[in-house]
Amino acid sequence: MRFVPLAVAGLTVLALTACTAGKEAPPSLGAQPKPSGSASQALPAATIELWHGFQTDAEVKAFEEAIAGFNKKFPQITVKTTKAVQDDQITQAIRSGKAPDVAASFTTDNVALWCKTGAFQDLTAVVKQDGIDLSVLPAASRSYTEFEGKRCMMPLLADAYGMFYNKALMKGNEPPKTLSELTRLTKELTVRDPDGTIKVAGFISSFQYYENSPSHLAPMVGAKWYNDDGTSAIGSDPAWKQLLTWQKELVDWYGYANLEKFRRSLGDEWGSAHPFFKGKVAMIVDGEWRNAMIANDSKAKSLDYGTAPLPVADDKPDLYGSGFTAGTVIGVPKGAKNPQHAWELIKHLTTDTDSLVTLSNALRNVPTTKAAMESPRLAADANFKTFLDIFAHPKTSTLPASVNSVFNQDSLSTFLVTWEKGAVKDLDAGLKGVDKRINDKLKLSGG
Amino acid sequence: MSTTLTAPRRSRALPAPATGARRRRVLHWIATHAIAVALAIMFAGPVVLVGLTALMTDEQALTTNLWPESWNWSNFADVFAKSHLLTWTLNTLMYAGLGTLFMLVSSIPVAYALARFRFRGRKLAFLLVITTMMLPPQVVAVPIYLIWARFGLTETLWPLILPMLLGDAFSIFLLRQFLLTIPREYTDAARVDGCSDFRTLVRVILPMARPAIAAVALFQFFYCWNDYYGPLLYTWINQDNWTLSLGLSTFKAFHSVQWNLTMAATLLVTAPVIIVFFFAQRVFIEGVTLTGVKG
Amino acid sequence: MRARPKRREGLRALLWLSPWIAGFSIFFAYPLASTVYFSFTNYNMFTLEFVGLDNWRYLLQDDRVWVSAKNTLWLVVFMVPAQVVFSIGVAQLLTKLKTGVGFFRTLFYLPTLVPMVAGTVAFVFLLNPVGPVNQILSWVGIAGPDWFGDPSWSKPSLTALAVWGCGNTMVIFLAALLDVPKHMYEAAAIDGAGAWRQFRSITLPTIAPVLMFSLVTAVIYALQYFTQAMIASRVASGATDSAGSSFTPGYPEGSLLTLPQWFFHAAFRDSNMGYGSVLALLLFATSMIFTLILLRQFRKAEEVHS
Repeated sequence: MRFVPLAVAGLTVLALTACTAGKEAPPSLGAQPKPSGSASQALPAATIELWHGFQTDAEVKAFEEAIAGFNKKFPQITVKTTKAVQDDQITQAIRSGKAPDVAASFTTDNVALWCKTGAFQDLTAVVKQDGIDLSVLPAASRSYTEFEGKRCMMPLLADAYGMFYNKALMKGNEPPKTLSELTRLTKELTVRDPDGTIKVAGFISSFQYYENSPSHLAPMVGAKWYNDDGTSAIGSDPAWKQLLTWQKELVDWYGYANLEKFRRSLGDEWGSAHPFFKGKVAMIVDGEWRNAMIANDSKAKSLDYGTAPLPVADDKPDLYGSGFTAGTVIGVPKGAKNPQHAWELIKHLTTDTDSLVTLSNALRNVPTTKAAMESPRLAADANFKTFLDIFAHPKTSTLPASVNSVFNQDSLSTFLVTWEKGAVKDLDAGLKGVDKRINDKLKLSGG
Repeated sequence: MSTTLTAPRRSRALPAPATGARRRRVLHWIATHAIAVALAIMFAGPVVLVGLTALMTDEQALTTNLWPESWNWSNFADVFAKSHLLTWTLNTLMYAGLGTLFMLVSSIPVAYALARFRFRGRKLAFLLVITTMMLPPQVVAVPIYLIWARFGLTETLWPLILPMLLGDAFSIFLLRQFLLTIPREYTDAARVDGCSDFRTLVRVILPMARPAIAAVALFQFFYCWNDYYGPLLYTWINQDNWTLSLGLSTFKAFHSVQWNLTMAATLLVTAPVIIVFFFAQRVFIEGVTLTGVKG
Repeated sequence: MRARPKRREGLRALLWLSPWIAGFSIFFAYPLASTVYFSFTNYNMFTLEFVGLDNWRYLLQDDRVWVSAKNTLWLVVFMVPAQVVFSIGVAQLLTKLKTGVGFFRTLFYLPTLVPMVAGTVAFVFLLNPVGPVNQILSWVGIAGPDWFGDPSWSKPSLTALAVWGCGNTMVIFLAALLDVPKHMYEAAAIDGAGAWRQFRSITLPTIAPVLMFSLVTAVIYALQYFTQAMIASRVASGATDSAGSSFTPGYPEGSLLTLPQWFFHAAFRDSNMGYGSVLALLLFATSMIFTLILLRQFRKAEEVHS
């Protein structure tokens, strides 16, 4: 009973502290009317902080060069960058009121949360003020940078996912266009010991393999993640079942244990021991950035490979040419000290054609604006061009924004592991279970 | 006479059953030591294997060959060159050093009061100390995090260091257990001499409690050195403030398959602890025994 | 006249205890109260809204909580006894050794000093499917499993790690065993009692309080199990920690998920402070049960003392 007075005291203090963690925020974007005329050049000198996720030396250098281009326009602004930053770190920094002026994320997973909660400032007003025409962005890129009418992010560069194939291992076969072709080729190209030990895999059909996440493979069957009301469509869209049934059949052909043993013996995804580099797998699903990684690897750069769109379900040939896209997003966090400066930097990085083309050429990521994509300066060899086309394809899709995006993907992935293993007796019931988890969580987060 | 001659003979024959006992003893010796050696191999084996791997090339570390083909002592230098091990070490030292100092300053008086003063609620206070000691740190993490966020101190190590100024339950508990063993006569004598509480503590208690104080200081230092959860919670977003634990936990990710460097880093993080231990082994073992609480 | 010094002593005690009282209020009482408050809200550190019992209702639907509970139960049922039994065994052996006791004691104790993160990282490497341990096993014709990658082996692997670093418990038992009067063994030996009988009728009763204490604390630590599981999942899953990746604890297949980790994930990674608070309270309730048992032990011990 001694606790009661304490608890009461605690609750009173709480009422004072709970609602606003962190300090008073500086004025947010668009809060003040902009001075007219060439306002940008009139910005006072300042140092702004930028967090980004690039990690390898080559990536960081390319990004710094893009910023150097900005500095030509705004010599009075110094940009201090921090590399290799993850989403968790961004969210936590904003929470504790220590956010940088600009933050870029490699995933679009948290965009919904960030927009909805105001963790990133709404750019709608300044976009309008500066007369930026967002229709130069493809629909997918527009959709993954906003949530419920709040545009709190801009797309910096995009990633598109397609198929890479090792020409030598393909033994003269053309890349598959349908799932049944992919199955046939996999069976043909896989090299196994008599005891089932895999030497070379045609296509690794496990969802646990590096880039084989459900979001990347869903476009092969046009599977839908959410209903219009934000609830899960995984259990009700037959496309998922189609994908899973196809995938499981191929896993079973290898034998789950054999495939797992093989998968675990593979080298690191980001190192030079990547199985595709080493010729251990004929076909992989991967992002366009793999081109740059192959080119930058001293051994793998001589690899003779090709790229193609993802194979699609046999009964949905119109999907061929499309794929999954997502990309790097960049915005102004709540609590940025120099939001106006930050916005100028973002505007330059995301809309300046020269800057985008330079960055794209260096990083081999897909530039997001139409002008940049059509720029003659854009280095687009055949293997890279595939991804530009996938990106521009009308059926190309992205993972729709959801506040629980990470949770939802994880729910499905968790189920998929048991499914692959053969521990699921009733697929429909299992997928319904995934639905339930997603929907329960949605109720909790208030949508 | 002959009997006297034979007597010793007989008495020499007497040990006959004793040789059996001796043989049993020898067998026993061999058996126990054999087990001990087997256990020693089990305990030391992982360290040896880690040490061997730390000296391999990164390519060999991925193979099943256990003996280094070449001895790459430069791996240790590489760890420093390729990671922020030095920064992590300095941060850890700051956390552990200040944390320990603050803990001592605040906990000794509390333990002293709990062990020596008679007052109402003394038992309750002690029970509460144990309760907080056993409380999973996660239980109250959310509000405490918010407090520090309010002061703008998240992403630093201060949220882990400053609370030490208000006493650490485990250290209070341990010190109190020890102080109870100091006979009351000593403090009573000091009191009769007109010493204040403070002087009694400094002049009488502290010198006698030196081993216990050394033990809690060591424990606290090692706890901080070891702590992963605290730094993960508070300094995750700021690599400049990472500690060794946090740095090491991401080491493999940042240096993907370089198990050799990862193992070298593991050894480097462990080495200081072992060195300290060898200098303060007695203090340590006695301290651990103290935690065992005899019934 | 007699009451005065006593009251003064109370005041003095209050003065001496004040840092701790402040610490207790700021870092325990207040946060506990506000955790209860937060458990009725939807709070992501940006916006706070009162949602009544929603979080509590969700607790019943959250299968990860059951997964965590099951894993923790496993730890309590297998890891804790393994650790304690092993420690007693090793301590007992040390009392039987005639030569090299100091050497062996130090050697057995050393792994305990290896920082948890370092030890876990090392074990994940040693027990990787093509790692040194499986290599050694293959020499004797055993095909070792994928220790940290197989959900049925991951917890036993961590148990091995726990047993390896059991030095503290071992030292405690060693002290207790050395406290058993030698003459009792001798008397028992004369009565013809075998080693097991001696252990059961002499050793065990003498060390029972210490054993009980060790068991209860071990259970409480099992409830708090965080670092080793988190690191093992992280390193074994090959979660790259690269930008754009997110890590959900529990790999492989949730087999290493524990409540503290799930709490941490919910509150600080999934930005769900409200639901996190519910998990925190659940954690509080379960560990409180064992803390109360421990407190009873203490009270008994204190009564013997005074």
